[in-house]
Amino acid sequence: MTESSAESPDALLRIDRINKSFGAVVALKDVTLHIPRGQITGLVGDNGAGKSTLIKIISGVLKPDSGAIEFAGKRADFGSPAEAREQGIETVYQDLALAGNLTVWANLYLGREVTVGPKFLHILDKRAMLANAGRMLGRFVKNAPPIDGPVEMLSGGQRQVVAIARAGAWGTKLILMDEPTAALGVAETKAVEDVIFELKRHGLTILVISHNLDQIFRITDGVWVMRRGRIIGYREKASTHPDEIVSMITGAAASTGTVA
Amino acid sequence: MIFARWSGLAGIAQRHGVFVVFIALVALMVATTSTFGTYQNLSNVLSQNSIIGIIACGMTFAIILGGFDLSVGSMTALASVVGATLMIELGTPGIPVGILGAVAACLLVGMTNGWLIAYLGVNPFVATLGTMTVVRGLIYVATNASPRFGVPYSFTTLGLGRILGVPNPAILFLIVALLLGFVLHRTRFGHYVYAVGGNSAASAQMGVNTARVRFAVYVLVSLCAAVSGIILVGQTASATPQAALGYELTAIAAVIVGGAPLGGGRGRMTGTIVGVFLLGVVANGLNLFGVSPFWQPVATGLILIAAVAFDGYSKRAVVAS
Repeated sequence: MTESSAESPDALLRIDRINKSFGAVVALKDVTLHIPRGQITGLVGDNGAGKSTLIKIISGVLKPDSGAIEFAGKRADFGSPAEAREQGIETVYQDLALAGNLTVWANLYLGREVTVGPKFLHILDKRAMLANAGRMLGRFVKNAPPIDGPVEMLSGGQRQVVAIARAGAWGTKLILMDEPTAALGVAETKAVEDVIFELKRHGLTILVISHNLDQIFRITDGVWVMRRGRIIGYREKASTHPDEIVSMITGAAASTGTVA
Repeated sequence: MIFARWSGLAGIAQRHGVFVVFIALVALMVATTSTFGTYQNLSNVLSQNSIIGIIACGMTFAIILGGFDLSVGSMTALASVVGATLMIELGTPGIPVGILGAVAACLLVGMTNGWLIAYLGVNPFVATLGTMTVVRGLIYVATNASPRFGVPYSFTTLGLGRILGVPNPAILFLIVALLLGFVLHRTRFGHYVYAVGGNSAASAQMGVNTARVRFAVYVLVSLCAAVSGIILVGQTASATPQAALGYELTAIAAVIVGGAPLGGGRGRMTGTIVGVFLLGVVANGLNLFGVSPFWQPVATGLILIAAVAFDGYSKRAVVAS
């Protein structure tokens, strides 16, 4: 059984002994991990294992109590999600992502609108955004929904495809996804996974939380397992089996699977 | 299938319903009365509805944002009382001071509304109901509830004068509507009003400063109320503390009739303008037919309910198709 070493030289993100507590509740305890560059990495664990807290720390929503984060070779100390985004870390949330009343192109450009004319007026350059949005979407999505229709007319899967494609544009290096297909049917899940593969093909690094082990084994290159705020271990997909991951998640293999 | 909404009868009715109703109403009025189409009557309709119209332009922003502003009537009265008082005290040279004073007073209320709603998270209903009541009370205290007379007569040019036969209030309404229509539909700020009204959390997630957008909208509404209050002074050369009572509800009704639902995220400036004149022409029609003016609020209320009910009905029809 090979365990990829946590010292892998080609890591986009390294987390070193991070701790986070909410009052008396310890959410993360000495969490150390790395995210290999250009790969799709899974993050699994039971409810309350600390996955979402970890994602929130990486994306700048929460600050760790102690420990260090290194992103793209530099120490990262994000004070806000905006700072993390500036550095190239985007997060895809389950349901907050899009404004249903706006068009697809307006959502792709939300917060990054192209403007023309006198600076203080901020007149929207709708034509430029409309023209570019098609390319932005087409880069990662094969059957892209119409970009000048409102998002509320799209299916849940199409919305998620738009949200993920948006996260991949704008010079992003790392995309964090929390249960990207939780509410989707089989065909829509497939469409979303295709987009995730396209992101990888374009050189992006992806960290995905999922409760669906089938999906983890379908799309990831390797997976980190957490339990009760601690890292239990990392397994490359080729050298593990769903049964092993399940036993790591539940604690049945706690004595054998530790690398951290 | 997905975009069925954009075609078919239900879609046309939903997108253009208020326009169709308005045109039919005007045609009906022209056909059944000899007086409606006269210059005198049309210019009356324009003058009478311009003050509400300017307020409704600002209200459109608040409603698309997902809120509304109940304090606009009180702010309009505040602007007219502050403006008139300064003009009376200072005479003709005091006119600019009066205008500035009226704007400053409304700005203060608008910034209070914006601060309460955007930064303290107070519900817009509660915040603006509060300022509506406080401001009206303060006006009564300051004036002892008695009107102010003696504004320099030259100032009535603003309220009663005409340019090329068009009443000046209507010209001001047109300017405000064009300006705010441009801001709403062409600028990033207007775009953010839709974004925040549609999904505030998603907008914040993507880096939109949602609090600043909210604050700015309530300030904008207060500026519209200031303009209306100043025109009111220009129409009467005086100010009454009881002025503009109930304007907030008429303005909100006009915006909703114009196609902007209270839930936010939707609506257009052209819809608001048609909504204003739809209610205005109905009131005018009742007047021309000799119906008691007491019936006017009844008509306004019924139109409001009909518009919202039809909107809900046509949406369900679209979903079902």
